[in-house]
Amino acid sequence: MNNIDALKELLYKMADDQLIIGHRNSEWNGLGPILEEDIAFSSMAQDKMGQSEHLYNLLNQLGEADADTVAFTRNAPQFHCSHLVELPIGGYDFSLIRHFLFDFAEYLRFEALKTSAYQPLAQVAKKFFGEVKYHTMHANTWVYQLGHGNEESNGKMQESLNFAWDYALGMFEPGPAEEMLINENIFIGEEALQAKWLEVVIPLLEKSNLVIPEKSSWAPIYGGRTGNHTAHLQPLLSEMTEVYSIDPSADW
Amino acid sequence: MALEDKKRIESLDPRISRAHLSGGNHEDMTGLLHFQTYEVFHQNKRGAQHKHVGIVHAPNSDMALLYAKEQYARREQTANIWVAPSSCISATEYADDDIFTTTPEKLYRNPATYKVMDRIQAFKERGMTPSDEV
Amino acid sequence: MYGNAYIDPNEKFSSEEETPELLAAFQARIDAGDKIEPQDWMPAMYRKQLIRMIEQHAHSEIIGSLPEGTWITRAPGFRRKLALMAKVQDEVGHAQLLYSAAETLGKSREDMMNDLITGKSKYSNIFNYPALTWADSAVIAWLVDAGAIVNQLANSKGSYGPYCRALERICYEESFHLKYGHDNVVHLATGTKKQREMVQAAMTRWWTPLMHFFGPSDKASVHSDTLMRWKVKMASNDAMRQQFMDMYIPKIWDLGLTLPDPLLKKNTETGLWDYTEPDWEEFKRVINGDGPCNAERLAVRRMAEENGRWVARAINNEEAEHVRPFA
Ligand SMILES: [Fe+2]
Ligand SMILES: [Fe+2]
Ligand SMILES: [Fe+2]
Repeated sequence: MNNIDALKELLYKMADDQLIIGHRNSEWNGLGPILEEDIAFSSMAQDKMGQSEHLYNLLNQLGEADADTVAFTRNAPQFHCSHLVELPIGGYDFSLIRHFLFDFAEYLRFEALKTSAYQPLAQVAKKFFGEVKYHTMHANTWVYQLGHGNEESNGKMQESLNFAWDYALGMFEPGPAEEMLINENIFIGEEALQAKWLEVVIPLLEKSNLVIPEKSSWAPIYGGRTGNHTAHLQPLLSEMTEVYSIDPSADW
Repeated sequence: MALEDKKRIESLDPRISRAHLSGGNHEDMTGLLHFQTYEVFHQNKRGAQHKHVGIVHAPNSDMALLYAKEQYARREQTANIWVAPSSCISATEYADDDIFTTTPEKLYRNPATYKVMDRIQAFKERGMTPSDEV
Repeated sequence: MYGNAYIDPNEKFSSEEETPELLAAFQARIDAGDKIEPQDWMPAMYRKQLIRMIEQHAHSEIIGSLPEGTWITRAPGFRRKLALMAKVQDEVGHAQLLYSAAETLGKSREDMMNDLITGKSKYSNIFNYPALTWADSAVIAWLVDAGAIVNQLANSKGSYGPYCRALERICYEESFHLKYGHDNVVHLATGTKKQREMVQAAMTRWWTPLMHFFGPSDKASVHSDTLMRWKVKMASNDAMRQQFMDMYIPKIWDLGLTLPDPLLKKNTETGLWDYTEPDWEEFKRVINGDGPCNAERLAVRRMAEENGRWVARAINNEEAEHVRPFA
């Protein structure tokens, strides 16, 4: 695997994660709890979708097909997203916990990428850092308040956290060229990112009155990065591409 | 059973079909919670004044700020936002707006009404003689 | 001192001391082009009609996001997907702004929401029709929003301050919706054979609901005269329908699309459009609950509120002091 392949692998998994979670979160559009929250959640889903488009554009510069083709014509095995983002939206508790776990990881990933030796990626990270920062503020405010809200809300959040935890650890599945990315100062690597993430999210979750699953039981759910997905991804993609695939060569 | 089937919603929206809804329920929604409202003030750039732009419903100021950002600053250039509970705003009454009626007439407060150049000009034209000696 | 508390929904708006003097002063303010603000004295009928109108408008926004929402997970390509999300988001935002404006008159958002969900209060009839294909969502975004703009621009010159302020912002965002919708329809109409067929079929489906959109011809009545004088109602249904036809039929024909009304043509003598009266019985049936999507629309809104209930309960601040918003 050469530099470019390693870089593509990194870009694909980031872009696919953002596309799929953006798509999932867009399912709340117009159906969310509380009008103001509906508006805010839609904005963040739009941000994710926009970020993924930018990353696909970087891939395009590296010789891959254009963003629409890449996003709207691949099947599940060709996707590199983590299982966490594929899961159905569930209740608002699960959607918020996923949003919290994913967005803090993304925030730290972007922070690390701001100094990436690969300039185009560093620029994207800098450009969208503010968006992701708002997402973490939103996520943390919610998780804190529902964690402290009442027995019902704390219970739902705890249950969702327990369910999501191993999937979240799966976001940090090591790629085939971690060393190369690290040595070339392109990215700090998944292992280092996970360490930073644990350092940030554990105290925040504890402050939110939630209990982190026992460490001995942690079992990261891998596979997404290599095209092995949950049963939820292909139906999502079939739905997402339903109109586009009427005629992929048409101008929609 | 037949009635149940009739009420089952068949939606074209895949998000709705997944929710397996039934229609025909006209009962009151009891216990809809009513958050307090916050008045939102938006500053478009540093140095500019904050302007009132509307309200959000929120249980506390942290949430109100999160919501104000998306409802009132998702298109506009923005430097800063304030929120304040509507219950903390005091206002004059429109019925008493006659307390403001003479305000625009108080010309002595208006710099533009001080026009000394005419007077200086006249003074110069008459050879700068005191007025009672002309 | 005026109280700023919400009005008890069970209490009838009193028509306390509507003396000829107060009514004349109120009318004079409106005639002078001044706006009425929430804290002003106003006739009970003015308050009641405005609440009804703004509330129905707000419901139309929140329910109006659903037909297009049908396609939110299936929009083809990034550009369309992002724009549709932003548009649906704006519609929810419009509901938020309009419920807020209505709240200044004393009815809480929750009471309005309850009246929507239980079918006590109406919303625009057009949203009771389904968006069968992606092309329907394009036609809605272009032409339903175009109709809404005609209506909202007229209302933005009305007499109630908070409603006008909300409409100013709304009209700005609607112009994005209109452009997005037009762009979408143009792409389909100038695209492949299949795309053209889709958009023509959608146009045909939506024509009757669009003709219904502004409502039947207004009958002259003392009631509607008063509302016109108070600048609550700003233009007649027929005038708005004619304006809409004037602006958009040429644009539709320009794309080589047809409309399912053989009588449709601009009458050079009257300067007005001739058209076949749409089926007003259907209009009445649908508005009274028997349209293709009425049950779904209300059930979906009920679901959203029900899903949100535990969330709201958990974060609610019970000590909060509740007053009507100021503006
Ligand atoms: Fe709207
Ligand atoms: Fe609309
Ligand atoms: Fe609109």
